[in-house]
Order: sequence, then C-alpha cells, then structure tokens
Amino acid sequence: MAHLLSQNVWLIPCYALIGAMLALPWSPGLVRRTGPRPAGYINVVLSLLALVHSLVALTDIWGQSATSESFVWLDAAGLTITLDLEVSSLTLGVCSLIASLNLLAQTYAIAYLEMDWGWARFYSLMGLFEAGLCFLVLCNSLFFSYVILEILTLGTYLIVGFWYNQSLVVTGARDAFLTKRVGDLILLMGVVALLPIAGTWNFADLAQWAATAELEPRVATLLACALIAGPIAKCAQFPLHLWLDEAMEGPYPATILRNTLVVSTGAWVLIKIMPVVALSEFAVSAVIVTGAATAIGASAISIAQIDIKRVLSYLTSAYLGLVFIAIGSGASQTALMMLFVFVLSMALLVMATGNIVLNNITQNLTQMGGLWARRPVTGLCVAIGGLSLLALPPLGGFWALVPLADWLWQSEPALLAVVLATNALIGISVARLFGLMFGGVVTDWTRRSPEGLWLLVLPTTVLAGFALHVPLFFAAWEILPQMNTLAPSIGAIVTWSSLLGVAIGSLFYLAPTAKPPVTLVPQPLRDFLAYDFYTPQLYKLLLVSPIGQLSRFINWLDRYIVDGVVNLVGVAAVFGGESLKYNTSGRSQFYVLSIILSVAIFILIMSLPALRLLSAGL
Amino acid sequence: MLTALILIPLIGAITIGLFPDTAIAPTRAKLFALITAVITFLGSIYLATQFDLQAFSLQFVEAHTWIPPIGLNYHLGLDGLSLPLVVLNTLLTIIAIYSTSDQLDRPKLYYALLLIASAGVTGAFLAQNLLLFVLCFELELIPVYLLIAIWGGERRGYAGTKFLLYTALSGILILAAFLVVAWVGGDFISFDYADISTAHLDLKTQLIALTLLLVGLGIKIPLVPLHTWSPDAYVESSPPIAILLGGILAKLGTYGLIRFGLELFPETWSLVGPGLAIIGAISVMYGSLAAIAQRDIKRMVAYSSIGHMGYILVAIAAGTELSVLGGIAQMVAHGLILALLFNLVGLVEAKTGTRDLDALNGLLNPIRGLPLISTLLITAGMASAGIPGMVGFAAEFLVFQGSFSVFPIPTLLCILSSGLTAVYFVILLNRTCFGKLDNSLAYYDRVTLPERLPSVVLVAIVVIFGLQPNWLVRWMEPTSDHFVAALPAQEIALPVISQVANPPIASLSPSLSAPQLNP
Repeated sequence: MAHLLSQNVWLIPCYALIGAMLALPWSPGLVRRTGPRPAGYINVVLSLLALVHSLVALTDIWGQSATSESFVWLDAAGLTITLDLEVSSLTLGVCSLIASLNLLAQTYAIAYLEMDWGWARFYSLMGLFEAGLCFLVLCNSLFFSYVILEILTLGTYLIVGFWYNQSLVVTGARDAFLTKRVGDLILLMGVVALLPIAGTWNFADLAQWAATAELEPRVATLLACALIAGPIAKCAQFPLHLWLDEAMEGPYPATILRNTLVVSTGAWVLIKIMPVVALSEFAVSAVIVTGAATAIGASAISIAQIDIKRVLSYLTSAYLGLVFIAIGSGASQTALMMLFVFVLSMALLVMATGNIVLNNITQNLTQMGGLWARRPVTGLCVAIGGLSLLALPPLGGFWALVPLADWLWQSEPALLAVVLATNALIGISVARLFGLMFGGVVTDWTRRSPEGLWLLVLPTTVLAGFALHVPLFFAAWEILPQMNTLAPSIGAIVTWSSLLGVAIGSLFYLAPTAKPPVTLVPQPLRDFLAYDFYTPQLYKLLLVSPIGQLSRFINWLDRYIVDGVVNLVGVAAVFGGESLKYNTSGRSQFYVLSIILSVAIFILIMSLPALRLLSAGL
Repeated sequence: MLTALILIPLIGAITIGLFPDTAIAPTRAKLFALITAVITFLGSIYLATQFDLQAFSLQFVEAHTWIPPIGLNYHLGLDGLSLPLVVLNTLLTIIAIYSTSDQLDRPKLYYALLLIASAGVTGAFLAQNLLLFVLCFELELIPVYLLIAIWGGERRGYAGTKFLLYTALSGILILAAFLVVAWVGGDFISFDYADISTAHLDLKTQLIALTLLLVGLGIKIPLVPLHTWSPDAYVESSPPIAILLGGILAKLGTYGLIRFGLELFPETWSLVGPGLAIIGAISVMYGSLAAIAQRDIKRMVAYSSIGHMGYILVAIAAGTELSVLGGIAQMVAHGLILALLFNLVGLVEAKTGTRDLDALNGLLNPIRGLPLISTLLITAGMASAGIPGMVGFAAEFLVFQGSFSVFPIPTLLCILSSGLTAVYFVILLNRTCFGKLDNSLAYYDRVTLPERLPSVVLVAIVVIFGLQPNWLVRWMEPTSDHFVAALPAQEIALPVISQVANPPIASLSPSLSAPQLNP
C-alpha cells in the first residue's frame, strides 16, 4: 500500500485540485440550496487525503535516493516538453508541509470566514494553491515551474481580490497580479531563451550543462538576470516588493499561505536554477545585493508600520532577503532550512495575530494594547512565532541562521554584518509587535477580547507546537549544525544580535514605562519608512504613468492620425447614421487617401530591413 | 464531401429565404439555420475523423474544370492548415447563430446572409485555385457588410462602409498579386495552386507581387497601420457578427500568409520576414497599448484582437517549423478566445445595457450581478492574457519558442507586450467584475441557461486544449512541417548563442543575398 502510494506521487497535487474543482459549483451560485459550506468541508477532507498520501509515501521512500518520472506533455515540430517529476525525501517532505499547513489554514478559515458568503471561491482557490505548490515542488522542470508560478499569480489575483467590492482590495489585487506578472514574463523570456542554448529545461540536466557551459558573458548576464526576475517578484524583493504589502487586503486565512509558502516558491525556484544563474557573476551579486537591500530595508520599514498585516508582510520580505543572501552565497541547504523555519514561524505569527484581529475588529497597532491578560494563549503563540523567527537558541531560527553566519564569516564578512543587522531589526520589529498588542494599557478596542472559536485556537496552538519542535526536526533529519565545527563564538554573536534587537524593542514598547520612540527618530525618516520608501510614487513615476501616457498617445494617434484624414476634418459624419451613399459624396476620397497613406507606411516598414540588406549587398 | 461543407449552408440560406413571412418565422428561421450549421459542423468533424494525420498532402481532393480559358477550376482540398480553420469556422457559425437574439428584425435575411458568409469562408479555406479563393473571399464580403450595416450598432453605416472599402481593396490587391504571379512570364496553365509557382519570376517581380499580397492580407488580418476598419467593425456589429468577424474572417488573412506567402514565395519570404516581424511586434504593442486606453469593453477586446494577430505574423515571418505550427495553433486559439470574449461582452451589454467601463461595476455579485458570466469573463480574459492552462498560452508559447531563434528582439517585444495584455484585462475585470454593485441600478435580467451555453462550451474547449495542446497541434504538424521544409534553409540551428546579441537581420539566409537583383 505504502509502496503503491509512493509510486503514484503525482496524485498528491491532484487531491487539492479535485477539491478546487468540486467547490466550483457553489461559487457562481449554481448550487444555492445547501449554502456554500460543503465546498469548504470537501476541501478540508481532500487536503487531509493529500497529507496522508504524502506522509505515507514519505515513510516509504525515506532514506532512498531520489527517483524521477517523466511524462510527455507536448511533442510537436521538434519541441518535446516533458513533465518531469522528482520523488525524493525532500520533495515529499515539502509536500507534507504544504498539505499540513493548508489543512491548518483551511480549518482556521472555517472559523475566520464563518459569516462569509464566498466560501466556495475561497476554498477553491486554497485548493488551487495547494495543488500548485505541491506540483511545483514535485516538478523538476523549469518550464513547468514557470507555468505554476504564472497560475499562482492568477490565483493571487483572485484570492487577494476575494472581497472584491472594496476599492482597496481591487487595487491590491491588480498590483499583486501585475507586479508578479512582470517578474513571470521576464522569467518567461529567460525560459524561452534558455532552451536553444542549453537544450533542456530539466533542472538536473541544466545543472549538468551549466557546469561545463561557456557562454558569452553578455548573454550569460542577460539570461541569468531574466531568470532571477521571477523569484524576485515572487519573493517580494526590492524593487518588486510592494505587491505583498497591498496583498494584505486579502482575507487573513489566505495570508497564512501567501506570506509563507507562496512567497517561498520564488526562493525554491531560485535554488533550482542557481547553477545557471551562477554562470554570470553579475547575476549572482544581483541576487545577493537584492537580498541584502531588501533584508535591511524591509525590516526597517516593518518597524514603522502601524498595520499588523503590513508589519508581517515586510518581515516576510526581510526574511526572504536573508534567504536570498544564503542562496546567492551558495548555501542552498541552509537556505532550505531557513525557509522551513520561516514558513512555520510566519504562519504562526499570521494565525495568532489573526485571532486577535478577528474579534477586536481592528488591525491597527496603535489601537491595540493590554491584551496579555485577556489572550494569554494567543500571546504565547505570537511570542513563539516571533522569537523562533530570530536566531535565539534553542528555537529553530537559531539553527538555521548560525550555519549561514558561519558560512558568511568565512566567505563574505560584510554580508555577515547585514545578516546580523537584519536579525536585530527583525528582533525590534517582533518585540514592537508583541509589545504594542499585548503590553501597555487596555484601549477601547481591546477591552473585551475573549479567545475565539476552538477552530481558530486549535490550528494556532498545533502550529506553535510544530514551531517549537523545529530543532528536533533538524536533529532527526541530521542537519542540525555541529557547534564544534563552526567558527568560534559565531553562535554567541548571532544570539547577541537577536537579544539586542529584542531588548531595544522591549525597552520602547514593552517595558511598563515604555514610550514609543517617535520623538527620537526625525520626521522625514519616519515618513520615509512608514510610506515604504515612497515606492508607490516611484512606480507611478517610472512605470504606471509612462505606460498610461503612451497608451493614451497611441489611442489619440489611432483616432486622429491613423484612422484617417477623414476623422480629422470631420467627414466621419458622411458615413454616419443610415447613410450608405458614400459614393455620391465626393469626400470619400479622403478616406481612400488615408488608406493609401497607411498602405504606403506599411510597405515602408515592411521593406526597411530588406532594403537595408539589398543596399548592403549592392 | 468538401463541396457539401459549402453547399449545405448555401442551400440552407436559400431555403430560409423561401420561408413564408408568418409570425412564427423568426424562431423557425433560427432553428433551421442552427440545424444547417450543426449539420455542417458535424460534416467537418466527420472529415476530421477521416483525416490522415501522417500525411501532409491534400486530402479529399475534388477537382473539376470550371472556366478553363481564365484558369478557374473548381478545385478543393483539405490539409492540416485548412482543417482546423474549417472546423473552427463551422463551430463559430453555430455559436453565432445560437447566440443571436430572438428579437431580430428581418430574421430570414439575417440567417441567410450569415450562412452564405460562412459558406464563403469555408470555400476560401478549401479552395485550391487562386481565382476560386478570391471568389469565395468576395462571396463572404458582401453578406458580412450587410450584416454589419443592417443589424449593427449606432454607427453601423460608418463601420460597414469602412469595412467594405478596406476589405474590397484587400480583395483587389490579393487578386492583383495573383494575376502578377500567374501571368508575368512563364507558361500559364491555370490558377490552381499546384500549377502556380514563382520560381521563374525574377526577384523584383516576386517582391512586387508579394508586397501586393501582403498589403491585401495585412488589411484583412488586420495589421497596424491598416487596421482602422477593424475596431469600428467589431464594435458596431452585433456580438454574433463580431464573433465571426474576429474569430474566423480575420483568419483568412493569416491563412493567406501561410498558404500564399510561404508556399508561393519561399525564396522571397526570408527577405520580407524581418520587416514582417517588426510589423508584427508593432501590431502587438500598438494593439495592447491602444486597448489600455479604451473605455468601452468591446472596443478594448477589438484592440486586443489586433494585438494577438500580431503574434501570428511574427510566427509566420520567422518560418521555423515550430513557429509556423504555433502560428496555426494561435489562429485557432485566438478564434476561440476572441469568440468567447465577444460572446461574454455581448451578454454583459445585453443584460446591463452598457459597455462603458465607468458605468459597469461589481458584476461578480452573486445575488444581483452576473456571477457565472463574470467568472467566465475572468477565465476568458486570463486565457487571452496567456495564463498557462489555457489554449492561448500553449499557442503563444510555441510562437515565442519558435520565433525566438530567428527574431529574438521582436519575440521578446511580443513577450513584453503580453504583459500589457494583462494590464488591460485587469483593468477590464477590475471595473466590470470587481467593485461594488450599484444596488439602485442593478435590476438585470437573469442570464438563462441557454444563454450561458456557448460560453461554457468555448471555455471547456479552451481549457481542454490548454491542458492537452497535443490534441490541437497534431492535426497541423505534418502540414506546417511541409510548408517550412519548402523554405530555403535558414540559419536556425539550435545553439545560436550569437543571435541573441545580434540584430534580427543577421539571421537572414545568406543564400538570398542581393546580387540577384543586380542588373
């Protein structure tokens, strides 16, 4: 039985996909009689099935070497696209993680969206995300990775736009979609350009090819930069990070997946294509610089946010910045460990803060305070989530960050400073978040705050248990770093940076006499951080308004120039209404004239290259 | 057998014309037209089942001499290029007839004209004689002009006239090109494709004929800057006619590019290829950018169509096996998706009474809005924007991958523009489907099940071919390979690293260098 399941891992993404399909009839109101709830229950059950399948398959192949399967998807005109699957302990383990987290998020959503009428849409999309994520993890081909990333981009658009009748939600969905699409399309350029050069999209073959390939430096740089654009957009790294902030308009249970697994897909793909990216020095340093800038910048921005979800979204960008540094500096295994820690801790933070947001009706940190006495369980969960994100022994974050610090200490000490600073800034941000919510005095918003339904609390506490056990997981997988092989006192340095951050944060936000340090920081800097480095304005200036103006110009051109001299002189009326007597009116010559002009331009453009060639030949 | 595909709609059209003018006639005319269209569709499906997938040559050939002195023969044949388009045509004809409103003036004339137009298009795809092609091409023109000018929107007269002028010119230019090819030099036997070749013509004559042909087809496709008839025609015609116009009539142009451009001018093709690729890329960007600025959703879809036809041009210009295959696949994909979009936009207009982006809002609302239509509209928009999992992506990807090695820069521009496609579809969806429904205005008629049927069927086809593109491309592959094999070898061997950096012109075949033109 177990063997059968491990032979058919392709079924794992299918469960969630079937769930997504089955939920559809409730979505546009085809089934009304039952209400939308069955759609949710179906998906929870199918997620459970996926989880059981991946766990059983995982135990079956545990310790064996990776096997791969291949199906031909398209075979036409010399192009064969195969769907390659890789079955290994790692991929199945990640599938189990995805399925369990989705199961928790879906359970959580039963309570969180109790009164919502969009259940079918929501669960259908959650199913789509689970299917896409599992498939992405299992598939071993750059082409299908791109396909999944693109489909998930569409999924993000729909799930962020879940409450579509609010205008902020609509713009958030739009920006999330377009930003990620920009990254995806640049990645597509890379995918298209890579095949003629490398002849394969299989990650393993690509790595083999890249080991011996000799590319013209310019080509290598262009190619590698195209390939990293997709991950940068997915992971919400500078300068494509704003979408994650705006995506916070989506429902909380969806954020559990988005802020953890969905953003991590970018890092996963980046790890896989790193051998190709490594062909270009420039691209590798671009990965590191992007990661470093985002790590420092986003963690600083998160300290200046007053919206809980925005704090979390910038923490997400910041931590993924650290992951980018790890990937760029060649520490792929450490990057995977960091992702594991990050996924569990961030999911816990999102879930736990969601518990508060749901029954205190606000996610504004300035309206929070004094919740510790009322919500100890949730408070504990927020504390665990926040602290395990940091490098603080004995929690998980420490064991993931120490190998990175050690590796950087040997290779790039400057980057170590960045990592330590980011760690400290994250510490401040986490302490601030906790302090503002649970410390301080009770406000009108937090006066009444009972723990929510068990469906909220249970997934949160279960996840807190997982987060606490991360070091044990690492130990069981035998990837726990051996302290005696590390550089001396690196563990202490990392720990001190976390403690420093937490201490500063607590001093200002948690201590009984705490006064927010607003007056300490000059106003322009505060605004600069609070308004996210003025990125929205930057986008508008550099991208949105040029395209808008260009499109208006083209439209004007189309209307008044290309569409003929006729319209310019107002002869359009001749053809208007019922009049068909165009040939009795001499003015239709204008029309013919415009056609002739267009034809002339067309021929001119068409023949330009040919003429150039001919004249060169002559 | 092929004749039947043309004759059945024609006979149907005549019979409808003979119906008595009783009160019951409108619905009966529609039913009869529908039955005719379904029979034709089943006929084309039957042909597809009998179609030999391995052969690239013509199948089901019918050849009769008609008017030998002018070389006009009744010569029909079917290959992997015409089969998908014929099936698409018969399918879209059913959808157009089915989705026509029951409250229609002069229904008998309408359905008769529609069937005649459909027969003309089928004939053009099947014709194996240049004159016969032109004849069918013109046969389709007049009914469509009347369909726009009688049953169109507010400015139907203007739009119809524009369509007529442009398309008539296009027909004349194509005819002129054919005459040049057939009559200048060489022995003239007949206008049959098999008897025509340009091998005996010098390069200059070939270029002239090809230019005439390209301009003629460019109007039909339509390519920027010859496109201005199309937004008006699409917008002013009623949705079923727009489906036919954009879904299948425009394909006559790209069909001609492959059938006549590639096949008749294999040697000159690579000379005009780079220019065509540039025009294609311009069309894509121009159409997408113009669509962003539109406030009328139907007009937006019309401009998006111009953009998407540009991909096909780039693909055909590149002339690799993969790109030509992708081009044919994109014709079918674009036909399906555009038909879907026009159908949905038409439904939105019929129910809400407006196409204005500033007036529409919140149609996804499950109680008072049009939830299913909005869902399908989102799917259609995303399919058009090239999201994987739907046929648009599969076809576009073949195009991109196929043409990249020949024209890297136009291809990259096309990929970039598919980002712009996403921009205007997001604008369209955010305005129409998302947002807050104005409860004081939202008293829309319910969308009935029969009204939903065409779009549901089209979405199903779009998704199935998107998930399994092999089922689409296998019909076309031998034929497209055959077309490309006739082209002189181009430098498109796979590891062309230097091409990425070089301008597209560098990839032209050296065998076609200029000295041939020297006096």
